[in-house]
Amino acid sequence: MTMIDRRGVLLGGTSLLGAAALPASSRAQTAEPRRGGTLTVGFDDNARTMDPTFSIQFSERQVLFLIYNTLTTIGTDFSIQPELARSWTIENEGKRYVLRLQAGVKFHDGTDFDAAAVKYNFDRRLDERVNSPQRSVLRPVIDNVEVVAPHVVAINLRTPYPSLLADLADRAGLMVSPTAAERLGQDFGRNPVGTGAFTFRQWVQGTSITLERNANYWEQGRPYLDRVVFRTIPNQIIGMQRLIVGEVDYVDSLTPEHIRQVEGRDGIVVQQARVGRWYSLQWQVDKPPFNNPLLRRAIAHALDRDRINTITMGGRGTIANGPVPPGLWWSSPDSVVHNHDPARARQLLAEAGIAPGTEITLAAPSDPLLRQIVQLVSEQLGAVGLRVVLAPVAQSEYYARTVQRAINFTPMAWTQRADPDGLFFILFHSRGFANSTGYNSPDLDAALDAARATTDVEARRRLYARAKEIVVTDLPYVPLYFAAEYAAVSRRIQGWVWTPDQIPRFRYAWRAS
Amino acid sequence: MTARRFRLGLGVALVAIIALAGLLAPWIAPFDPNASGADVLSGATATHWMGTDDLGRDVYSRVLHGARISLLVGPLAALVTAIIGVPFGLLAGYARGRLNQFLVQVMDLFIALPNLVLALIITVMVGATLLNIVLVLGIVMWPEMARLVRGQVMSLRETPFIEAARSIGCKPSRILAFHIWPNIMRIVAAQMAIAVSAAIFTAASLGFLGLGLPPPAADWGSMVQSGFDYLSLNPLLSLAPGAAVALTVLGFYLVGRSVE
Repeated sequence: MTMIDRRGVLLGGTSLLGAAALPASSRAQTAEPRRGGTLTVGFDDNARTMDPTFSIQFSERQVLFLIYNTLTTIGTDFSIQPELARSWTIENEGKRYVLRLQAGVKFHDGTDFDAAAVKYNFDRRLDERVNSPQRSVLRPVIDNVEVVAPHVVAINLRTPYPSLLADLADRAGLMVSPTAAERLGQDFGRNPVGTGAFTFRQWVQGTSITLERNANYWEQGRPYLDRVVFRTIPNQIIGMQRLIVGEVDYVDSLTPEHIRQVEGRDGIVVQQARVGRWYSLQWQVDKPPFNNPLLRRAIAHALDRDRINTITMGGRGTIANGPVPPGLWWSSPDSVVHNHDPARARQLLAEAGIAPGTEITLAAPSDPLLRQIVQLVSEQLGAVGLRVVLAPVAQSEYYARTVQRAINFTPMAWTQRADPDGLFFILFHSRGFANSTGYNSPDLDAALDAARATTDVEARRRLYARAKEIVVTDLPYVPLYFAAEYAAVSRRIQGWVWTPDQIPRFRYAWRAS
Repeated sequence: MTARRFRLGLGVALVAIIALAGLLAPWIAPFDPNASGADVLSGATATHWMGTDDLGRDVYSRVLHGARISLLVGPLAALVTAIIGVPFGLLAGYARGRLNQFLVQVMDLFIALPNLVLALIITVMVGATLLNIVLVLGIVMWPEMARLVRGQVMSLRETPFIEAARSIGCKPSRILAFHIWPNIMRIVAAQMAIAVSAAIFTAASLGFLGLGLPPPAADWGSMVQSGFDYLSLNPLLSLAPGAAVALTVLGFYLVGRSVE
């Protein structure tokens, strides 16, 4: 579950549960974990709060997952696994989730984690006065949360909502200490108290966040590290230099061009995310000129995505024919594909009554990859007779301005989520909170609503295949590719996991001697 | 004297080389400066003398075409500087009393503001187009010109031939236009050459700070900036346009100083 999750200065997209891979090497470790040592993580510092109730930035969650536990957790294969909830049952036709909680778990302030704490956490997120950014997503779904027994809690829903368990593996499932939250109020975000493997030590805004080992952590013998430090790096290039000299142990969000500097270097391991962010172009389909479907199709045919992939990703990205990457349970064959076909594009433009030389404005955010993409798009649209004017916009402003609908045509990047409802609903449903294209298709809304109302995986798979077909036909977004993304890590750091949301989990990491 | 000759010669030679590069760019550049290519971030090779950038564009061709932009922005901005600064300086130098005080204070106010910061703020507000950048640079640089002209006028105003003109009843406008202006033209011309170099430098700084001409324009400052990310792969991405800026600025500056 998540809110607007901008990748801050770096990448404009949003993310919740994304698709990445467990690095094979970290799974195949034979060495025994070793206690002690510090892990230093290169960090895009746009963090504002350490209170998950108010968190919206992508970077914050790297830290949150260490300070807190989630109710469920997401496996490297998108499976939902137990964490603070040891098991669960779904009752009342998908409208009641009963969670049985781990016993003996304590918050860092010594108070007990129990069903009442879970209820407190949900009530706080749902409270209008608290004004949590998660409220707009949770409120329409959750009716109430009920303490059944000291360690059994039930979440009663208004409607079936199959992606609830996936949401509980993300921000909505991060459990804060009720005692500390009540006592500290507004200051809790700077003095976070959870049940997690590391306790909060210090936050020097813009410089570093320091966490220390929780000696009383409920998972016996863990964690292994004494300390985790998130050190701000101004950009990935500088991060790589710091990695090479050993000032940081980990840098991610790297492109194929970035890793050319460290590939093959001793002591550094490069790992690729299994599925990278979905890059696309989006526009406002309810306003001129993009309310003309012929123009949208013409542009889709004018783009040479293979070439964009070759130039910006060294050919290592995966061409996207829709928002769903291959290899997920809801992936489906591409029934509608807009091939690179300039002749067809010109013909569609002529049918649409758009004269050669017509000017179109495309936003050019300052992120280097987005800048590359828009220049190639501009070149390729120029080849079919459209004149593209690139309008530079600061990276920090561009997503907000897109949501405010002040930008009509822009590149965009999103990470995958653990459940198809995640991206499909927020981006394409007429009531989706991140629907900034003005797209409103009754057919699509019906398919997405139907998919929410059932827990039958086969039925959902068919519905999302249908939804993808509608979206690709209507083109509120033009899919480009799933990026090739990398993390570069010191060879000494072992046992960390890169989960599908593209947030590294360092909870069980250790430092080899 | 010889040192001055040498400076002038060097300045003229640099300006001539850059001007030729800019004028002939469409014919001598081996590639279209904006055409992407699959050979991304290559080092210097026989085909790409300065390598390619992050979109596979030929850096050498882009540097040549960048000269066109700089040679347009620099002189036009200097012209704007002169159009605002010269009349202002003439008036401020010749006028006395309240008007003089007022004009001097306006000038001092503008001189007190740092050029680059002012240019940044205005560019953010009006947007970076060629015309806007020229106007912005002219607007932030005119006080230098006005101050110089005012100083010259003030010393000329007290000379006997101006006294004479005044005593036979010439109007101030006539004195300024026909007696003072011809005597300061040479200095204004020299200052314009220096203004060209300052304008090119400031435009490159704006580009470096992300406020240059929008992509894909081959703007030297923007090229230096975007090359920064790939310094370890191909340092020429930043060094080549950076050197071009340095040499052009030096050329115009030497010319201006020698004429003065």
